[in-house]
Amino acid sequence: MTTLDLTTVDAAPAEATVGPSRRRALRRLLRNPLALTGLVVVVVAVLAALLANLIAPYPPDQTDFSAALQPPSPAHWFGTDELGRDQLSRVLFGLRVSLLVAVLSIAISIVVGVPLGLAAGFYRGLDRVVSRFADTLLAFPFLVFAVGLAAILGPSLLTATTAIGVAGIPAIVRVTRSETLRLRGLDFVAGAVADGASDFVLLRRHILPNSVNTLIVLATVAAPAAIIGEAVLSFLGLGIRPPMPSLGVMLASAQPLFRSGPWLAVFPGICIVVVTLSLNLVGDGMRDALDPRESPR
Amino acid sequence: MSELESPQGEREMSEPGTAWATARPPTVGGPLLEVEDLSVRFRTEDGAVLAVDEVSFTVADREVLALVGESGCGKSVTAMALTRLLPSNALITGSVRLGERSLLELPEAGLRDVRGRDVAYVFQEPMTSLNPVLTVGKQLGEVLRRHQALRGKTADRRATELLELVGIPLPAQRLKEYPHQLSGGMRQRVMIAMAVACQPRLLVADEPTTALDVTVQAGILDVLRDLRTEIGTAVLLITHDLGVVADLADRVVVMYAGRTIEEAGTEALFARHSHPYTRGLLEAVPDPERRAGGIREIPGRVPTLRSSPDECTFADRCGRADSLCRARRPELLLGPAGHPVRCVHPLPLPEVSR
Repeated sequence: MTTLDLTTVDAAPAEATVGPSRRRALRRLLRNPLALTGLVVVVVAVLAALLANLIAPYPPDQTDFSAALQPPSPAHWFGTDELGRDQLSRVLFGLRVSLLVAVLSIAISIVVGVPLGLAAGFYRGLDRVVSRFADTLLAFPFLVFAVGLAAILGPSLLTATTAIGVAGIPAIVRVTRSETLRLRGLDFVAGAVADGASDFVLLRRHILPNSVNTLIVLATVAAPAAIIGEAVLSFLGLGIRPPMPSLGVMLASAQPLFRSGPWLAVFPGICIVVVTLSLNLVGDGMRDALDPRESPR
Repeated sequence: MSELESPQGEREMSEPGTAWATARPPTVGGPLLEVEDLSVRFRTEDGAVLAVDEVSFTVADREVLALVGESGCGKSVTAMALTRLLPSNALITGSVRLGERSLLELPEAGLRDVRGRDVAYVFQEPMTSLNPVLTVGKQLGEVLRRHQALRGKTADRRATELLELVGIPLPAQRLKEYPHQLSGGMRQRVMIAMAVACQPRLLVADEPTTALDVTVQAGILDVLRDLRTEIGTAVLLITHDLGVVADLADRVVVMYAGRTIEEAGTEALFARHSHPYTRGLLEAVPDPERRAGGIREIPGRVPTLRSSPDECTFADRCGRADSLCRARRPELLLGPAGHPVRCVHPLPLPEVSR
């Protein structure tokens, strides 16, 4: 446990072995039962997606017309589709694609959004330009943008990732900008200026590291949105194309068969719900754990 | 990252490991810091505000000069203006000379070399003046690398020496700790260690003990006093605490509403002050022997000035004020006690048996 010695000045505790505040935050996160549940599910889902080629009972594209459109059974836990493909295997590989799209799109948002946000928060002149750019992006309907992008690039994993990533930029820009504005006014940043720090050092050493907590929370909250976004785009035929499985693709191709094979929609649907819900729980937990106002100093 | 920082090292450094107290040879000739007619105006939404009004003073090598006044009199703004640390809406005029260099004319990049190396600051708020996500060692290392191009083991050793210098026990261990693990007094010591890391010629201490409790204050004042003898730095001490002034300062400049109103050696100021405002300040200090009368306060508040008025800015609060005080702006002239005072009706010298 952390023991803060606030009373004595010169006689400080001999063995102070407290790590950075982030380790304490992790401990707080693990004490929150909802967040812990979410974290476990997310870890299982990520492992399942990563190890899909090892744990999937069948290859995801293997057709078996003798076993077409079968309900769940011991041989096919999640049933089979109209081509006889094992749905459990396809969900596992689909999850891999969906998570990949989520991670890549958030990476795009952060790589573009964080520098823009830092610049906007630090330099007044740039702020107008960057903030208007972010507002413009935000005002642009996500689907219209995705349709336009798909029209240019053609529907693909890259299209879906780019569309979701770009749609996530304004939020990152705004949060980074407001963090920068807040931090820039703090004493230790002013102190670093008085020590002769350059703008680059201020941003790199003082402002960015102090924004990381907020960005972690934002990324965690953006992940489920990205998974849903991928599902929407693929469902509409703007994202990943069959036969590559993704959770959205599976939902889309299950639609015409909903009467004869409802399990085709149910399992990918449940998978989306469970994974996004868990990610949201983790995100909420992170926010609570990293919120400095809730940390007992 | 380092290639973005200007190369350093033209300044002589003592070999790491040798005694820290490498006394600098005293500069021959003029004062270390020479401030002349320094004025600071802030452009605000309701027009310009005059914060500092033609302030002039000098600080000699190794001297401790106290800048005294109540909140809002412009003392902190004066200190920040020396190396142009003010926000961009501040308009600074006048001249600030540090040795050979005119600081107000330096480009921003040149000022970055001055800040932290020649002129270092210690601020009031130790609780918020350290970066919460970096260890003490990293923050000290940052300064050492920036201005002295020290890194790795050498920097660590120097950082340890610095913490030792400011009286922090177990310095090697403290380097690995984060600011939240240190008490306020410890943090202020770290701030001082960072400030003197490059053996600055001038240390600006802006209310360095205000946020600390009294026992800790005494410790910090000891550190400041020792630094002066150990590394030979001049100190510009900004405070409203006359106890601190009496303890530490060689000379005192009293400021009121952006103007300097009296300037004297510390003893002279306490014994033979000439300005009614200075007397008011001294009488506002609680005195155990004068308990019955309680603390005498100065009525009214410091005015916020739009422009430099052609009258004494203290006239509205002064018991001795008459039409003469409002007729024109009083000059800083040699007063009856033999030091400069800006008053039309300076206090007479006290009786010998006061």
